[in-house]
Amino acid sequence: MLSIKNLHALAGEKQVLHGLDLEVGAGEVHAIMGPNGSGKSTLAQVLAGREGYTVTEGSVTYNGKDLLALAPEERAREGVFLAFQYPVEIPGVNNVYLLKAGLNAIRKHRGESEMDAFEFLTLVREKMKLMQMDESFLNRGVNEGFSGGEKKRNEILQMAVLEPSLALLDETDSGLDIDALRVVANGVNSLRRPDRAIVMVTHYQRLLDYIEPDKVHVLSAGKIIKSGDKSLALELEKRGYDWVKQEAAA
Amino acid sequence: MSAVDAKSTAPPVERYKAAFEARWPGTDELTALRRAALDQFLSTGFPTQRDEAWKYTNLRRLETRSFTPAEASALDAHQPGWLTTGGTRIVLVNGHWLPALSSQTAQPPGVTVLTLKQWLQREPAAVATYLKDHDQLSGNALEQLNLAFFEDGVVVNLADNVIVDAPIYIVHESTSTAAGRMSHPRVIVTAGRNSRATIVEHYLGANEAEYFTNPVVRFQIAAGGAIKHFRVQQEAPRAFHLGHIQTRLAKDARYSIHDIQLGGSLGRTGITALLEGSGAHAALFGLLAPMGTQHLDAHTRLDHIAANTTSEEDYRGIAGGRGRGVFNGKVIVRPDAQKIDARQSSRNLLLSPTAEIDSKPELEIYANDVKCSHGATTGQLDATALFYLRSRGLSESDARAALIRAFAESILSTIDLEPVHAALERQIDERFKLANEAKA
Ligand SMILES: Nc1ncnc2c1ncn2[C@@H]1O[C@H](COP(=O)(O)OP(=O)(O)O)[C@@H](O)[C@H]1O
Ligand SMILES: [Mg+2]
Repeated sequence: MLSIKNLHALAGEKQVLHGLDLEVGAGEVHAIMGPNGSGKSTLAQVLAGREGYTVTEGSVTYNGKDLLALAPEERAREGVFLAFQYPVEIPGVNNVYLLKAGLNAIRKHRGESEMDAFEFLTLVREKMKLMQMDESFLNRGVNEGFSGGEKKRNEILQMAVLEPSLALLDETDSGLDIDALRVVANGVNSLRRPDRAIVMVTHYQRLLDYIEPDKVHVLSAGKIIKSGDKSLALELEKRGYDWVKQEAAA
Repeated sequence: MSAVDAKSTAPPVERYKAAFEARWPGTDELTALRRAALDQFLSTGFPTQRDEAWKYTNLRRLETRSFTPAEASALDAHQPGWLTTGGTRIVLVNGHWLPALSSQTAQPPGVTVLTLKQWLQREPAAVATYLKDHDQLSGNALEQLNLAFFEDGVVVNLADNVIVDAPIYIVHESTSTAAGRMSHPRVIVTAGRNSRATIVEHYLGANEAEYFTNPVVRFQIAAGGAIKHFRVQQEAPRAFHLGHIQTRLAKDARYSIHDIQLGGSLGRTGITALLEGSGAHAALFGLLAPMGTQHLDAHTRLDHIAANTTSEEDYRGIAGGRGRGVFNGKVIVRPDAQKIDARQSSRNLLLSPTAEIDSKPELEIYANDVKCSHGATTGQLDATALFYLRSRGLSESDARAALIRAFAESILSTIDLEPVHAALERQIDERFKLANEAKA
């Protein structure tokens, strides 16, 4: 589904990714772990098409298409979704507008008809229930005045409504208490299907207790330096990253 | 070359003299007053940019035109939308009352709504006295020009304690026959003690004509009275619009205005509020959206004459293309006017590198127990927010439109007159091509 080859990229002026390779198949869940500043968010932003992040070498193929050639909204419409590490507050644009406009743009791209107001509300209510969010959030500005945890839930709510085929979660677990973590994990798990893939960036093994990954990768200094299964995450939790770095350098 | 030179030797303002003699040849008291006003206008001429109050707005293009008085006309076939259909509606076309399009709902006792002409017919001496008292004294050349040439207008009188629930809607429409013409409507509202009313003024035109609208609006609000004023300027694209509002507030009186400027090629609203009685409060909200090559100017002056008076001012500008916006917020606190609270905020959004908005707060404070705050910001659409919206599937233009609407909404959401609020939201959306907002 997603094939990243030898990806080099700049964040602003800074070379952050130095030849990153990653293969993600349909139905798989991948976890990317790595020290702060290693380039995890840069990878996520590059995949979502953020301006200011420049690919200098390498390729990204998504469902056979050159992902890097697409505008951010085209990627979204093709089924790529990024749950932001720092969700953006947009006062004056309400949540329900964003959900509806996003969903209808994606449906239109797929050749489906726009949802009517009733169908849409039924869908959103169901997903809000899943995320244990109060309906009053719908008519508030996007993330406006939301607590850290509420913002993360809102990201997953959007994901649940938009039903992407490739979900990128950037530290969605950071700053969540255990109950919120469970709700978020629940939301993510509800999306798992054989034709979808999930890539999650995290620092903590605990998220992986709830969302079981097929593969775990270590990203360090802009490269994947080690890949393994779930047990790698447990080992990282115990021993930190230094041994992996040393192993990779050897 | 020489022909051009010969033509340009007559000062442009002199052309107004010829137009005046043709239109007002009489010698009665009112005409004498008009002539005195014209003379004053001729001696001053149009303001220039050397005048501090006109620093950012150049009237040379207006000055080179020779507009003659506009005449009554039927509406154009292509009819721009009105803001509301309910309540009392007075329609002036090219500055002349059009009874066929106006509708008067029964007013509660104590409320009089007349056209200025009707008032003139009933009480010519009273009108002359009123105009003398209220206009000969104030110096603005353009207001003098209005006094010289006004044809008609609207006069609203509210007796003490009268509360009018339905808004009084005044439509100033200019048609294609107004090409090369000027109109000088007048609105005079006198509100008695503890009276309340809502006045909606809508200036509009949807044609290719180049015309000039120069309205004067006067509010006099007695103790405890409250007037809500909504003013939407949506003149035709080539029009000149210079509006002059003056409001006098007695003890505990309240005045609020929403000054929405969307139309015209050159538009300006000058608002002066004189807070003359303790407890008086003036609230000025504005939204200016110059696009293309439009120039829109909001010139405000809050004069805290009495102690214990308060004012708030919240203006937003959105400029695109080569559009140019101006906000000038002058706050004066007179000596001995203690315990004043005046807040001002001006926030601007530039949609293109060639757009410009000048924001100028001016505080003149002669008392010491005073709370005055002002803040001005000018920025562009938030790139992070744009990306966030696009990453959810919105097209770039929809994402931009959503952010522009959000910016405008902070002013629009304070419009508590639903038909006006809804009409303006539609117009802003249309203006910035926003796909209709989904409402749950
Ligand atoms: N827009 C940017 N401009 C310049 N430097 C950036 C930008 N974004 C990230 N960086 C830098 O790139 C490095 C990698 O950042 P990031 O990808 O956010 O790391 P991680 O998510 O793994 O913690 C850091 O040193 C960070 O300061
Ligand atoms: Mg990060």
